[in-house]
Amino acid sequence: MKQHLGRQSGVQTVEVSLRDGKVEVTPKEDGQIDPAQLLKATYDSGVTAAEMYMTARGKIVKDSSGSLALQVEPNRSFALAPNELSKGLEALADTPTMVTVRGQLYKKPPGKKKADASTSLKLLILEVQKKE
Amino acid sequence: MNTKKLALLALLVSIVSPVAQAQIKHIEMRVEGMT
Repeated sequence: MKQHLGRQSGVQTVEVSLRDGKVEVTPKEDGQIDPAQLLKATYDSGVTAAEMYMTARGKIVKDSSGSLALQVEPNRSFALAPNELSKGLEALADTPTMVTVRGQLYKKPPGKKKADASTSLKLLILEVQKKE
Repeated sequence: MNTKKLALLALLVSIVSPVAQAQIKHIEMRVEGMT
């Protein structure tokens, strides 16, 4: 799985802890990493991703339907799952303020044996680390 | 001429850099079925 994930674009290093089933991926600075692709690669390597967490820096934007999203690259943004922390960031929408957040991008639905790699990823913010 | 170029460069950097600094910094997964 380490090799499989390491081959994905934008991946710099992959650390796997067999004991606690934790996989840590450090992206390259080229911004090419795609969490959905990593989820698929994990599935393809024969293991099930139960949860995925992401730390990212970006701008809060509002899409055409008024939903909030974190824009991490000019062409990539993650819809924010509504919670208290995302509500607190609403005032920063479409401003130049950059925020660094940690959140849950994916959680395997209960009862499913395999992760559904086609699920659209929504970021549930767990921690706002920095606003600048 | 040089001042004009420098001003233009500064403007471009100020526009592009916030987006360029935006990026995914770390990804962590918990997996099941790993041997």
